[in-house]
Amino acid sequence: MVRYWQDFFRKNGPTLALYLLISVTCWMLLMIVLPQLFMLDFSFRTNVPPPQWGTEAHGYTLEHYQYMIYGSAQSTDSYNFVDLSVFGRTILTAVFVTLIDVALCYPVAYYLAHVAHGGWARLMVMALIIPFWVNELLRAFAFKIMFGSTGIINNFLVGIGILDQPFDFIRNGVALYSGLSYAYILLMIFPIYNAVESLDKNQIEAARDLGSPWWRIHWRVVIPHAKPGITSGCTMVFMLTAGALAAPQILGGPSSLWFTQIIYQAFNQAGNWARGSAYGIILLATCLIFVLLVMKIFKIKLGEIAR
Amino acid sequence: MSADVKLDQVWIRFGEFVAARDVNIHIKEGEFFSFLGPSGCGKTTLLRAVSGFSEPSEGKVLIGGQDMAGIGPNKRPTALIFQNLALFPLMMVWENIAFALEVKGVGLAERRKRADELLELIALPDQGEKMVSELSGGQKQRVAIARALAAEPDVLLLDEPLSALDLKLRQHMRTELRAIQQRVGITFIYITHDQGEALTMSDHVAVMSQGVIEQVADGNTIYDQPDTAFVASFVGENNMFEGKVSEISGDYAIVDTGSGQMRARKSKGKEQLSPGDQAFVFIRPESLKFANGSDFDNRIKAKILQQEFEGSFWQVFFDVEGSNRSAKLSTVNDGTTLAHQVDDQVELGFNANTAIATPAGDLAAE
Amino acid sequence: MTSDHIRKFFTISFVLGFFAYLFGPLIIMSLTAFNSSAFPRITPWECFSVEWFQFLSQDAKLIEGLQNSIFIGLGVVALAVPLGLSGALMLTQVQERVRPWYYTITIAPILVPGVVLGISTLLFWDRVGTMFGASRESIFYNGFFLTIVGQATFISAYTMLVFISRLQRFDRVQEEAALDLGATHVQTFRRILLPFLKPAIASAAVLAFLASFENYNTTVFTIISESTLTTFLAAKVRHGINPSISALAVVIVALTLFGAVLHEVYQRRELAAEKESAKIAKGEQTKRRTTNRFILDPAVILIFLVTTAGLGTAYFAGTMGLDECKAQVKAERARVVQERVKKREQKTMFQEAGRQALTPGDTEDGAKGKPAPGTSNFQGLFSPDNLEEQAGTKNQGQAEDKPRAGTEQFQSIFAPKNLEEQAGGGSEEQKKE
Repeated sequence: MVRYWQDFFRKNGPTLALYLLISVTCWMLLMIVLPQLFMLDFSFRTNVPPPQWGTEAHGYTLEHYQYMIYGSAQSTDSYNFVDLSVFGRTILTAVFVTLIDVALCYPVAYYLAHVAHGGWARLMVMALIIPFWVNELLRAFAFKIMFGSTGIINNFLVGIGILDQPFDFIRNGVALYSGLSYAYILLMIFPIYNAVESLDKNQIEAARDLGSPWWRIHWRVVIPHAKPGITSGCTMVFMLTAGALAAPQILGGPSSLWFTQIIYQAFNQAGNWARGSAYGIILLATCLIFVLLVMKIFKIKLGEIAR
Repeated sequence: MSADVKLDQVWIRFGEFVAARDVNIHIKEGEFFSFLGPSGCGKTTLLRAVSGFSEPSEGKVLIGGQDMAGIGPNKRPTALIFQNLALFPLMMVWENIAFALEVKGVGLAERRKRADELLELIALPDQGEKMVSELSGGQKQRVAIARALAAEPDVLLLDEPLSALDLKLRQHMRTELRAIQQRVGITFIYITHDQGEALTMSDHVAVMSQGVIEQVADGNTIYDQPDTAFVASFVGENNMFEGKVSEISGDYAIVDTGSGQMRARKSKGKEQLSPGDQAFVFIRPESLKFANGSDFDNRIKAKILQQEFEGSFWQVFFDVEGSNRSAKLSTVNDGTTLAHQVDDQVELGFNANTAIATPAGDLAAE
Repeated sequence: MTSDHIRKFFTISFVLGFFAYLFGPLIIMSLTAFNSSAFPRITPWECFSVEWFQFLSQDAKLIEGLQNSIFIGLGVVALAVPLGLSGALMLTQVQERVRPWYYTITIAPILVPGVVLGISTLLFWDRVGTMFGASRESIFYNGFFLTIVGQATFISAYTMLVFISRLQRFDRVQEEAALDLGATHVQTFRRILLPFLKPAIASAAVLAFLASFENYNTTVFTIISESTLTTFLAAKVRHGINPSISALAVVIVALTLFGAVLHEVYQRRELAAEKESAKIAKGEQTKRRTTNRFILDPAVILIFLVTTAGLGTAYFAGTMGLDECKAQVKAERARVVQERVKKREQKTMFQEAGRQALTPGDTEDGAKGKPAPGTSNFQGLFSPDNLEEQAGTKNQGQAEDKPRAGTEQFQSIFAPKNLEEQAGGGSEEQKKE
């Protein structure tokens, strides 16, 4: 160990060695590890006003996690149906959105990587980047405009006579689901595109040459090759969708709360930071479990995901 | 300025692995010295210990009589030419060459002037404004040398710098390197796995195997008087016979092999042969002859396997009686055809002073 | 038509559909910025106008949020670029055993929900502040500081990935070569590594700035009492929307487009330079042709000119005839309202009259009235006051002269069937008779 640090300083020289050590330590400890640990600690403490934090009154408790499951003691329900159902819906919707995005992106990624050629393909790939850099809020806003009761979609549907009444897309969640699918779709298409593109065209041609039908080529050649990209895209899209705040706030109807919104309310409206932290931990844990599960199922390493 | 380099009982370990084992070498100033060995033998490790990128685990490196312990590569009077040259791709050629001056704080005009002088030396005048990527392989090579020389090192270290070049260019660069060394007069330490390079250019060659220096000598001696079985098998081609020493008489050893008793000069390495020892007898293909009734110190019986015509040479391969190794004979093509056919039973002979007997030991991989 | 053709047709339609999905919303949103209507929409089109852009530039809170966002973005760049760089440099140097852990921890912030990062940053520095007994005005409770730190936590991971991929192409021997030639470690870093990393530093900085600029989830927790562009936008969108938000989007989309094109041009030039170098090395070419390496590319100048001209024209077109057009729309609207009132009166009259006898003018009126009132009704329907009610915002204070019954009727007018029924009501009733 001593030898390692000696080598380290020798190799980098004192100035750079110090820069590397200090900045990496600050980043890892002060910004990543400790804040998460503090949050974990905080989520197990009673909810007392800020001046009492760290005093004896600020003791350990499981009440916030219990609250998530059983609700408040005054409540007549045996379970906290509101929060649990929001949580369940959030996770299910996130999974659903992820699947939709895969289904939408895979054919397009394949098309861009192996069917389209030349300047066109390049232009299209470049064009993909543009919506990505438009603010998340603005993208949600665009959907609000489109799906509003007098938005272009309602106008169109009523105009051609499919509907006789404007349909409330916002209240029943259609706007939210399409907005969420839209919000992170580019984090799906880029990894898949990169993975599919690295596939040697000859492999596809060899398979075709051997008389394989097109769906089998995809199933046996292209998809296995693109697996790391697909997994990476799924993980990112799921995490971001489950943790989304802007789209639900803008596109969510009054009845369709998102789990992050409950956390937001705990912090900004109820002033119950401890419960907010506990819910945050629950969200974090769920996301991590999901990622680990996906990694296990598809036998992918973390290094391949974050690329 | 030139300096001598001394490796004094140097050991280099990486965990359990020993990359250099008790190395003692004295390289005199102004000498062209080569380390020759197969890849992985530890020669690059030794070079890095001299240049300061690593410290020996034990022992000392002395340059110009000064102990180099704790002195970093940027403070040592050495300059290294890397295997892949490591030219700086984002700098122009002249900036590359003048880099050593730049870091010393030499002014722009002075740097430029010196760079132009060096470009002249390496026969690339007026190429200073080019980018490195615009040079050909041989030109890059020369720029790397100029860049190292600009640092005015006492010792120039070269780590297989010619390995990336094609054969013709490599042969040309050998002569050029030697010429440059003689012109600047500083110590060159050259690392290679190519014996042709080592033998043609060097004043002295150290042959290395598995972290051990097998022999240090001039090229001629290495070829004609190998100290160990490894050197004999690694440098040049050799036929080999295994046996047991039955007698030592003066400079000669008599070895009983499966193909009969053989007399050969005995090797002069650290380990000396004595009666009863396992030994190898080596005889070069060009020293092996068809006996044809002439008088030879040693004779063996063999069957011709194959004959290859190589223009100025005939190469003939044999199955030797009493040995599971085939033998090879090469003879100058004097215009007459060979008198033998494949499958002929022949008698071969060689003289004791052309053969060498070494203690049995590791051989170079084929 | 073979099955191949059919498949090709479906694939292309799918891809086109995908791109329509990607760009449609943005295009529609952008167009709404130029419609003078007070609600962001494109149907019906009222007047081409750039007044929402002017409106935008006068919004002091927006400007403040924008300034804060830029300040925070620069802060994040200043923090995340060196952190990411050191993280990437360290990666190759940590012991083999520790490396997977090291990588996992540094990459984790990308996967942690932004909300969680925001909360944990807020909590952590609050506790640190308490530990040091710092006052509420100190840095630990400062929204800017917290936001920069919170965002940099995960943005550093982005920049680290940028640096890692660039460093993979770096020949580490170059550093040794420089050291060997007498350079100090700092000189080597400055002269060899930094120039090599320059493009990566630039793209990491841009990435960091953009990621910071558009971040909402983390910021909304850490910003406390300040506001950034995103928190301002979120508040605005939630409290009722108007086309100035679209106008802002147009500005952002335009800047992005501009950046993308610039990036493309830059990359192409790099590629060309590389090809040229290879040619020179092979001896196919003796001199470098690109003399305009430091002068702006003609393409860039052209884009700049076209953009300026386009914006200028749009500005004049949008301001010049605007008042007239608006007056027209207003007049038209008034007329429609009046007509409708009249018609309702007529209709009631009709219904009464229908029971007794037919008046010949009615059929004529119905046929003629169908197209024109149809469209104008449509427009009237979308008048801003109306819309707010429909959109569900609670701004009912200005219902003014419009009676509730009116709205209801408009809603029923909305569907074409109803429309016909109303317009041609007379004739249908005629048949029944």
